[in-house]
Amino acid sequence: MPNLIRDIPETSGYWGAVWTVCNLPDIHVIADAPVGCYSLLASAVSNYTDAIPNLENITPSFIREAEVMGSGTWPAVENVYKGLHETGKLEGKQLIVVSTAESEMIGSDLSEFMGRLGYNAKFFHSESLTHDEWTGRDRALIWLWENYGGNSATTALEPGLVNIIGPTYGCFNAPADLHEIRRLVEGAGGRINVVFPYEATVADIARLPKAQVNVVMYKEFGHTLANALERPWLYAPMGLRATTDFIRQLAQMLGTTDQAERFIKREKATTLKPIWDMWKGPQGDWYSTTTVGIVATGTYVDGLRAFLGDEMGMPVTLTAARPLRPGDMDNIALRKAIHAGAPSFLFGSINEKIYLSEAGNKMTNFIPAAFPGPIVRRALGTPFMGYAGTVYVVQEIVNRLFETLFNVLPLDTAYGRPAGGPPVAAKPSLPWQPAAKAQLDAALSKLHFLTRISVSQELQMAAETYAHTQHLSEVTPEVVEAVLAGRQGERR
Amino acid sequence: MTAIELPEIELTGPVTAAKPCALHPQAMCPAFGALRVLARIDGAHPVMATDIGCNYGLTFVTHFYGSRKSLLTHQLGTSELMQGDVVEGTRAAIEMAAQEPGCELIPVISLCVAETAGLPEEMLPTRVGNAEVVLVRVPAYAIYSHPETKDVALSTVLARLGEQDGPRADKTVVILGEVFPADPLAIDHLLRRMGVEQTIVLPGRNVGDLRRAGRVGAVAPLHPFYNRTITLFRSWRIPVVGGAPVGISGTYAWIKSLGEMLHLDPVLVNQIAEAERAAAQAVADHQPIEGTVLVTGYEGTELAYARLLIEAGADVPYVSTSIGQDPLVLPDELWLRRHGVRDIIYRKTLEHDVAALDAFKPDFVLGTTPFCNIAKDRGIPALYFTNQLAARPFFLSGGMAATAGFVRNAIAGGARAQWMLDFFAE
Ligand code: SF4
Repeated sequence: MPNLIRDIPETSGYWGAVWTVCNLPDIHVIADAPVGCYSLLASAVSNYTDAIPNLENITPSFIREAEVMGSGTWPAVENVYKGLHETGKLEGKQLIVVSTAESEMIGSDLSEFMGRLGYNAKFFHSESLTHDEWTGRDRALIWLWENYGGNSATTALEPGLVNIIGPTYGCFNAPADLHEIRRLVEGAGGRINVVFPYEATVADIARLPKAQVNVVMYKEFGHTLANALERPWLYAPMGLRATTDFIRQLAQMLGTTDQAERFIKREKATTLKPIWDMWKGPQGDWYSTTTVGIVATGTYVDGLRAFLGDEMGMPVTLTAARPLRPGDMDNIALRKAIHAGAPSFLFGSINEKIYLSEAGNKMTNFIPAAFPGPIVRRALGTPFMGYAGTVYVVQEIVNRLFETLFNVLPLDTAYGRPAGGPPVAAKPSLPWQPAAKAQLDAALSKLHFLTRISVSQELQMAAETYAHTQHLSEVTPEVVEAVLAGRQGERR
Repeated sequence: MTAIELPEIELTGPVTAAKPCALHPQAMCPAFGALRVLARIDGAHPVMATDIGCNYGLTFVTHFYGSRKSLLTHQLGTSELMQGDVVEGTRAAIEMAAQEPGCELIPVISLCVAETAGLPEEMLPTRVGNAEVVLVRVPAYAIYSHPETKDVALSTVLARLGEQDGPRADKTVVILGEVFPADPLAIDHLLRRMGVEQTIVLPGRNVGDLRRAGRVGAVAPLHPFYNRTITLFRSWRIPVVGGAPVGISGTYAWIKSLGEMLHLDPVLVNQIAEAERAAAQAVADHQPIEGTVLVTGYEGTELAYARLLIEAGADVPYVSTSIGQDPLVLPDELWLRRHGVRDIIYRKTLEHDVAALDAFKPDFVLGTTPFCNIAKDRGIPALYFTNQLAARPFFLSGGMAATAGFVRNAIAGGARAQWMLDFFAE
């Protein structure tokens, strides 16, 4: 049975690898690619995932029909190499030639040719016909270490130094999450050695083993490198409990427990104070009745579920990790599920947003939490990770509840009438058949409780008005059905 | 699939002094053009045949620029290729697409990897349920630019759907080209005043329009890259109006030739043509553009934009585009050369545009995002051609007013570009 894919949520190993190695400013990539695989990655998509105008250290071999039909891609790569060399674009750089699905398709393994190029040229086989972007990143990181790195056994540790292994281009919210993890590491008593690859150069790769501890930002990639470095390592945390555990574990490894405990104490009184205040205030009362769904990387799914679900007590009614983990819904199943009904809040990518709009669902609050989808996440103050992340996420949810409430509160109907028009005559209210009432209740139960009162009044009025126009003496199930159908139509 | 000949790039004037080393082609993935126009059709549910990286990139830009439409494909990786599952997977995706509510058309978009592996058309159904299944082959390695795949997509579905039977609607005109939504309304309004009964906009949103397009009285291409589509209309003996209603002289000539072709009342046509010409001239007279502008997009419409800007008073020494040289662009090219444009580059690369930036010291640049990035790095105001120009009217005198006004404003705000550069340079 062929494996069908709807609205693919992750890209290939080629993208993951290039989005990883191109962070290093002293690397230049020749992508063995047709024009589109180059321009989509280097500008059309990166413009809107990472808000960068152009990836400047990548050039395509520009595979065309001649290469596909027989000549192979080496002459094209060699040509591009000459152009880059002659125009000085490779000055002070290390050269990497990266394969793509299309170059792999025509069997173009260029490893043996690298000796003919300068700039320490190396071939990275991205295995794009097999691997997704996350594996691509993981493989690229370990490959960088193996090709440009040092020796963990002989490198002396510097106490207190910590690496952060993780963000690359195409990682949702990376700048803010990185900012927060850096803050936590320093708060716990560590000092940052290398942020790899986000803020690194090739020379930094050999310095990686100096760090006493590694922090891996995401569960999806980076662990292979962390293991190879032969130092203890931790995953970056989400939620109150995991973040506190993280700080304590890190401090234990670094021998800075006193400083870390002071930091945690201070955080509770500052960064985290809003969580405590809202917990005690009216906002906290809403958590247990506000449902949440999460479709994002496994890192975010686990982190948000632990924080919003286990810690804040919000019912998490739908989760699906990308890339898929066993038991998760793929987009074919997820789309059906969202069409049938969605939680009050849905964290996700543009795909989930599309499924909500297909279903005419305007009651669910969509919160961007994953790629794909065009979005700017470059502000440092919007983390999902760490202590600051808990505050940001709760603040987002509460403010959207306020927004929802505002939108359903009644507006004096006079504003909707043409000026000077006759006032609407009051009509006597009508009795409701029990079946009609049951139908109304069923429809209302699908709404977030904050909006129920207003919507209920609106629907009751609409049903009674409709019954009046039909000259009925009571509200029947047919009337409710007609009104609900009309409402559905309006929302589409 | 036949290869598109890449013409020798002809360089004359200052830029040629150092022929740039052309390394960074400037084009959206060509296949996107096809996907975009097909995804926007109501009741069309595209199926892609491709690898996951290509699929992700194209789905991303389609969901951003094309339509909020869910897109289907099948896994096409090492194991599927080894087992020869390309056809089977595509057929399964077609079956699923056919179950979408209101599905009338399933374009099967075959991209680089699937085209290299081979996807024989005779192995695919031509109809499933109520839906026509149409294979559209757009391997990006064989087609250079995304405007050209719009043409491939449109001509392919038209060839299947365009109805030949039934009476000709002699006074119905197909307006050919993806344009800002207000433009077809303005053109329709003008044509109706001249005696045209109806217009159909292609590539549009409606399958019915594709069917009816086979029986119209004339086709008026607004863009110069609908080569295959025009050939198809010609094979149906439907006449094609040359030129496009752009700027002062272009609008005038277009109205006159369309009127003649459809045998409309010459007095009335002349009256309307004169009035449009006067209105466009008034735009140029009262609020002329002053300054040097480079027009360097990848949409295939750059020559027409340059023409309008020149008529509005701008100095345009350099125009570049991703499409190839073609008889359809020749009239605009000749017009531009007569009006002081020194370099016109087809199949351009970033290096061509940068050389022009060095040579011509423009006051304002319309370009691709990588090129705008470079211009702004030098404190030169620049706007992304695709996002900005596609978002306002362009045709007839109203389009001239909107486009020229927009460019005038951009030039006037130029000091800000220098301020930002200084700020970040400090
Ligand atoms: S594989 Fe071909 S069609 Fe797909 S993104 Fe790359 S160039 Fe474009």
